[in-house]
Amino acid sequence: MPQDITVTFAPHIRRPLSTRRIMLDVIISLVPALIAAGIFFRIRGLAVIAVCIAWCAATEWLCNLARKKPNSLGDFSAVVTGIILGLSLSPALPLWAAAIGAVFAIGIGKMVFGGLGANIFNPAMAGRLFLTASFGILMTTWTVPATLDGTMPTVSPTNAIDARTQATPLAWSKTAIKDRTGAWIYDERLPLRQSLLGEKAGCLGETSVVALLVGGAYLLIRRTIRIHIPLAILVSAFLFASIAYLLNSEAYVQPFYHLTSGALLFGAFFIATDPVTAPITVRGQWIFGIIIGVFTMLVRIVGEYPEGVMYAVFLANGVRPLIDRFAKPVPVGGVPHVV
Amino acid sequence: MISTMGKRASFAGGVHPPESKYRTADRQIQPGPAVKELAVFLSQHIGAAAQPTVKKADVVQAGQKIGQCQGFVSAPVHTPVAGKVKEIALRSHPVLGRSLAVVIEAESASEPSLPGFTMPQTFDPAKYTPEQICEAVREAGIVGMGGAGFPTSVKIQPDAKVPKHTLIINGCECEPYITCDYRIMLEWTEQIIAGTRLAQRACGASNVFVAIEDNKPKAIEKMNAMLEAMGLGASIKVVPVRTKYPQGGERQLIRAVLNKVVPTGGIPPAIGVVVDNVATAAAIADAVIYGRPLTHRVVTVTGEGIANPGNYHVPLGTPVEALIGHCGGMTDQAAKVVMGGPMMGIAIADLSTPISKASGAVTVLTKEQTGAVGLERPQTPCIRCGRCLRACPENLNPTRIAHAVKNNLMDVAESYYISACIECGCCSYVCPAKIDLTGFIRTGKILRARQKKKMPS
Repeated sequence: MPQDITVTFAPHIRRPLSTRRIMLDVIISLVPALIAAGIFFRIRGLAVIAVCIAWCAATEWLCNLARKKPNSLGDFSAVVTGIILGLSLSPALPLWAAAIGAVFAIGIGKMVFGGLGANIFNPAMAGRLFLTASFGILMTTWTVPATLDGTMPTVSPTNAIDARTQATPLAWSKTAIKDRTGAWIYDERLPLRQSLLGEKAGCLGETSVVALLVGGAYLLIRRTIRIHIPLAILVSAFLFASIAYLLNSEAYVQPFYHLTSGALLFGAFFIATDPVTAPITVRGQWIFGIIIGVFTMLVRIVGEYPEGVMYAVFLANGVRPLIDRFAKPVPVGGVPHVV
Repeated sequence: MISTMGKRASFAGGVHPPESKYRTADRQIQPGPAVKELAVFLSQHIGAAAQPTVKKADVVQAGQKIGQCQGFVSAPVHTPVAGKVKEIALRSHPVLGRSLAVVIEAESASEPSLPGFTMPQTFDPAKYTPEQICEAVREAGIVGMGGAGFPTSVKIQPDAKVPKHTLIINGCECEPYITCDYRIMLEWTEQIIAGTRLAQRACGASNVFVAIEDNKPKAIEKMNAMLEAMGLGASIKVVPVRTKYPQGGERQLIRAVLNKVVPTGGIPPAIGVVVDNVATAAAIADAVIYGRPLTHRVVTVTGEGIANPGNYHVPLGTPVEALIGHCGGMTDQAAKVVMGGPMMGIAIADLSTPISKASGAVTVLTKEQTGAVGLERPQTPCIRCGRCLRACPENLNPTRIAHAVKNNLMDVAESYYISACIECGCCSYVCPAKIDLTGFIRTGKILRARQKKKMPS
């Protein structure tokens, strides 16, 4: 008879799924967006992402070392943050700025709170927000996709803004509100095919609608994420944009344009679905998604900035604990009379 | 009345662990090992422990009562064999830690045999009054044999305030590995049906269902054929339910079969429903028709760590090690011995722990099944993925409750309804961070009970 008999609580068998596997699935789901970024923004774009991944990982490793905690790089969550942060940056961003964003994202956005699972805000969005506040111009300088122009800056320029720059589709729609040229933008300035493939100015990972939908579908099929948050965001944003469009179709672009522009899809499938910073119940997830969808469109249509996904996610992250408390699950047998 | 919704009747939540029943599903019930010394617990049920009626050196006959009820929710115990009382001493109990048992030295090591149950030619439940049936069931010491061990007479006795309208005989056996109920359904079909009719007569229910998970088509077929042959096809309905853990949990089963909800903190009789396990039903038939007390039960000895798994009819009090030895012993890879199945069973350290009325299985698992067991299992922080909420059949927030207990925030744990947890283990099973959610919740319940008693310890 064997000697070592272990005694633990039940259950004694576990499903094989691990946190690492979940993170790996998120990484796999981002591959199409990474490929799109490589096609449209070439080596310069990939360099930004690589710097983000490297500094995110290094920061996590150093923080653990300083806190005398075991190394947690094995759960791949730092890599996920690095990729998402990189994909949410401009291809022309100086690499040193990307590194600063990555250090902030992990150092302040995550490790200060206690590491994985303890952070209130999405770390990648924390890093991006810090960069936007610190280097506003660098963060809003967009290059023309290489397939249209071919003059991407090289990897090591001191001044990345040598390349041809272009406004993003959302900046056009912002101008259109003043110029009353909404319809023109949609019909002529940005052909649908170009928009869906991602041949337009914008953050590295947000431009290709096709790549984002493929990645999102993978996450849904693998059940890594569930449909509620993305659906709530997209439907509420679409309804908001529809109302604006119906009220004034000269000033406001068609709602579909809003769905395919900016970070809405990227945010809906990859940022807002970060389980750590999203509500845990389905009811909470609907509320959370609607807050993000409505707030994004408020910024885009009423506010001063062309894009608002980052602010919307940040706001929703902040109220997440309240949503969770509000949307507390009720036991199947009802609330007990005497607790 | 029966909710089907296109699919088989079921409940919301739950998990699908590998069934692993193939090891023993086709093994006929065999007599267990001949054991010289049996330790029969005085507490094999929920409620007050039995009071010993014998003392050291007393000579006892097989089936003699050795412990009697103390209080309403209690059950007597009987000795399975003739012999001498060696002592009344503490033995390792899977649930209670250590508990009093009557240790009996068997008179002769005669070869154990299987019980024979012959249906009387003129069996008619109507010739017994409900009181007679309840009394016989109580005297025979019958308790829920599905695992909980709640005294059956308490459940089936008529209640004027809440009349019992429905009786569900539970043949789900949703725990992986275990096949004792499955074998009973195939081999003792007639006896189960006789017991079912007696339980129906006792509680006065007009609707009777036998619920069987749809991964046991042979049992469903056998049960239907037997009911048909006995002319009971119209009065007792076999309900195939979806194979999903914990389908056999009575709250879940009532949800699946009747689409009714048992209030949190309440028990099925509160809504007029009685749920009895198939093995319990068989025991009722034995007790009422032949006056035989509950002294034996069928136990599945299984798991990757067992050389020759099987289903055995064993006397209560048989030590686990004797059973394991009878099955060819444990393999070198054996890492955990579990009383019950892998989802809700209790891991034991002391292999001399005796079988009791509620122990349906001994499952020996290897490191491969349990993963890196115990403290070696790599736990990562909760990422709030919500899988535990989706798996919870009671719609609770297991991660919130478990972390509240971990941080000693008992009021938070209560506000998230810790008491509504049925400890099925689904949350721990699905957790990608490998957190012992069920373990924390169980600990929390114990702490809570102690605090309510104003901390006596």
